[in-house]
Amino acid sequence: MQNNIAKFRKKAGLSQQELADAINVSRKTISTVETNRFTPSVIIALKIARHFNTSVESLFEIEDHD
Amino acid sequence: MKQQDIKTEEKFMSHNAWFSIFMGITLLIISGYPIIGNTSAPLLILGSTAFLGSFLMFVIRGGFTWRMKYHLTYKDEYLNTIDTIAYKHVVLALLFSMGTVYLFSEGLTLHISHSMMATFYLAIMCLVYGISIFWQSRD
Repeated sequence: MQNNIAKFRKKAGLSQQELADAINVSRKTISTVETNRFTPSVIIALKIARHFNTSVESLFEIEDHD
Repeated sequence: MKQQDIKTEEKFMSHNAWFSIFMGITLLIISGYPIIGNTSAPLLILGSTAFLGSFLMFVIRGGFTWRMKYHLTYKDEYLNTIDTIAYKHVVLALLFSMGTVYLFSEGLTLHISHSMMATFYLAIMCLVYGISIFWQSRD
């Protein structure tokens, strides 16, 4: 699964810590989600999507082998 | 959950991992030294002192008070996940080390006591937990 969180975050001019603070998770959560080492729960995915005022589908892209 | 709580959890996990590694090394020395020195009494005192010293150092540096409650799980999703995976690594390492000891036990039985082996297993568990946490929380 690929995601565009880093792209959205940089576009909004936020650091990983600032995004983490905004949605009440640890910075490592953001860091590992961005590098595809951790798949977040639906709750975190929805929180990120709501923060960027977009849909979960635009943040996460499922791949054929998933 | 407040952001401050998450930062405290992150800090706690980092200190906990360092503490586990330090304790693992201390226990490894305690379990291994008697084979070379044929005595364990002086090193047990030294090891216990080092262990207590490191424990107090981490408690003070971590800013933890006696009022701080111990939780079995982390509230932050990612920290909780890597903590669970670290325990799985601990179980695997324990099984692997026990299997290795079982295979080579014939040659060891005359020199190594049960307490040394128990200390060795504890050392492996502590070391693997600390290393696993650090490995998983890399950026």
